[in-house]
Amino acid sequence: MSLQTDKRDFSERTTDGLGDSFMRNAVGSAQDSLKTRRLSAATALGDWEQWRTAGQQIRQHTLQNLDYYLEQLAGNIEKKGGHIYFAATKEEASSYIRDVIVQKQAKKIVKSKSMVTEEIELNHVLIEAGCELIETDLGEYILQMDDWDPPSHIVAPALHKDRRQIQRVFTEKLDYTDDESPEKLARFARKVLRQKFLEAEVGITGCNFAVANLGAINLVTNEGNGDLTAAIPKTHIAVMGMERIVPTLAEMEVLDNLLCRSAVGQKLTSYITVMGPSAAGDTDGPEEFHLVVVDNGRSDILGSEFNEALQCIRCGACLNVCPVYRHIGGHAYGSIYPGPIGAVITPLLGGYDDYKELPFASSLCAACTDVCPVRIPLHEQLILHRQNIVKENRTGSMERFQMKAAGRLLSSPALFGKTLRFAHPASRLMSRHGRIVRGPELIHGWIGARDLSQPVKQQDSFRAWLDKRKGESGQ
Amino acid sequence: MTVSGNHHTSGNNKEAFLNTIASKLGRERKREVQLPDIQSLLPDSYGSLTQDDLIDILKEQCFFIHTQVIESKPEILQRTLDDLIEANGGGSVMTSGDPRFAAYGLTFPGSFVWEEAAGREQNIMRAESANTAVIFADYALAESGTIVVESRPDQGRSLHFLPAHYIAVIEKERIVLRSTQAAAALNRRVQAGEPLGSSINLISGPSNSADIEMKLVVGVHGPLSATYVLI
Ligand code: SF4
Repeated sequence: MSLQTDKRDFSERTTDGLGDSFMRNAVGSAQDSLKTRRLSAATALGDWEQWRTAGQQIRQHTLQNLDYYLEQLAGNIEKKGGHIYFAATKEEASSYIRDVIVQKQAKKIVKSKSMVTEEIELNHVLIEAGCELIETDLGEYILQMDDWDPPSHIVAPALHKDRRQIQRVFTEKLDYTDDESPEKLARFARKVLRQKFLEAEVGITGCNFAVANLGAINLVTNEGNGDLTAAIPKTHIAVMGMERIVPTLAEMEVLDNLLCRSAVGQKLTSYITVMGPSAAGDTDGPEEFHLVVVDNGRSDILGSEFNEALQCIRCGACLNVCPVYRHIGGHAYGSIYPGPIGAVITPLLGGYDDYKELPFASSLCAACTDVCPVRIPLHEQLILHRQNIVKENRTGSMERFQMKAAGRLLSSPALFGKTLRFAHPASRLMSRHGRIVRGPELIHGWIGARDLSQPVKQQDSFRAWLDKRKGESGQ
Repeated sequence: MTVSGNHHTSGNNKEAFLNTIASKLGRERKREVQLPDIQSLLPDSYGSLTQDDLIDILKEQCFFIHTQVIESKPEILQRTLDDLIEANGGGSVMTSGDPRFAAYGLTFPGSFVWEEAAGREQNIMRAESANTAVIFADYALAESGTIVVESRPDQGRSLHFLPAHYIAVIEKERIVLRSTQAAAALNRRVQAGEPLGSSINLISGPSNSADIEMKLVVGVHGPLSATYVLI
């Protein structure tokens, strides 16, 4: 998979999402339960707001000094006998990894969940090179077995699938014969994947944070697949976005707490591991360790007006509160990064040509900004994108005309007042039962997904009420 | 261990990559950095706690992470562990080579010990076929119900993940409040130039996943159950 998961029009994708009632229910209830769990785990920390500030400061400090920390990391990894490679583009990153695998003459690869490997299209490159590659995160494994169905949530990639769909996939692809209970399905996957861990020659993982002064990576998981991926195969290749680094274990601890609590409402997840090249006398762990640091457009964000987007620790909390994500689902974003953070970073990494609609897929309610554990002003960044898109004349000519007309109307109190007076009678033909059901492009787009009330009668309007009150109080 | 061949022997692109970063940040390369004092920002939400308070916090948290906590004593530790192993259905046991097993006089006839001499394949095979793993915790973190363990020649990484059941013995004096204390202690060692194990694991209960319809399933790739024995 690449950054782009669906090449169709944004409107086609959202129509699909809005029409998928299972997915919408699943997303709604996942949002509700994750929101509550996040809140209780956050409250348990004491002053959550201060923790958020600490998280923000750590991320900002690291970004401001990124070259320093990456250099320190490189020195420490090499000191321990590991390899580090800096890839400016996705092609460089995946071809480096392919070369390591080819040199090892490895064919069997296990992989734990990693967004950046999706971004660099690694699976595709390795499968093309003739490798057998298995995703070992249960959610990702389900998607792979279902012909690489794209993920729909950063933390719960298979959220859009129900147990019967999963049972069907396992039956068709893996000769599964049992019922659709999640326990049985998971136990079955455990058995199949266990064999893959034992056979694999190379393990590929992502990296939640690299620890600069230690020369190690930090993985945060619940299933244990990341650890098995790194511990058993003789070669471990970890891949990280260049910004995912902390100075020391002390800052890592703060961010891991923010991450676990924000992502899944746990104080800490089941497995948090700090690992690197093996030490003398170790009998498992990698005999060869590689860390690939990926830029792929990130340095263009660094120092720009979108710099704060790089603070993201991929917890998914902004997805779990977003009303737009709730309704359209993850696939509608057409990107491996959905939700509010997806709407900010996808256009930065993939350009406005393919993603100019995403910054408009927001109600600007700022719930995402309020929840973000590292205080990224997400809704403000979405507004910045919108301004850029308008400045670059990327909106449609009809939309520009309508917006210009609306702008003229809204900036003239007299004209606005007059229009309001006629709004009710003028909208009569377009309305039914107090709701507008027909209209030109702008209105049509709105009512396609939401209700729009018919304007009230002149005598019931707020302005009429205010004028009357002013009259009564003699003002 | 170098890999011969194209990319990685002809350099790792570091200089160009880091120069790009510095130029995007509008400055020269940074050669020195002052770390801000983040810890002083963090509130102390618990106040002072006794060791008994920590044990209570740990027990309460373990309820939420599907982990059984058994209180025992050094004198009866062997019996407690034997009972637990039997409750797991018996089968083979694998322990780490931690000297504390000998210090507490623990023996498990017919069990395997993770040892450097056995080599990679043997150790992994033994761990995979073991029904129960028994290890000693380096620290326990009360707030999250976490144990901290470090890999060593006598305690491999996969020992914690391959056996079906996992038992961690926690000496009460090793219980601290949070991950903050453990991270600070480990960090002090790094700063003093002391080597840490190549893998530091923070383990909070058994493996689990909510990938299918957000329903929590305990026991996914790693252990199916976890038990902490407090002594
Ligand atoms: S933007 Fe903030 S809330 Fe959203 S995933 Fe990133 S860190 Fe989490």
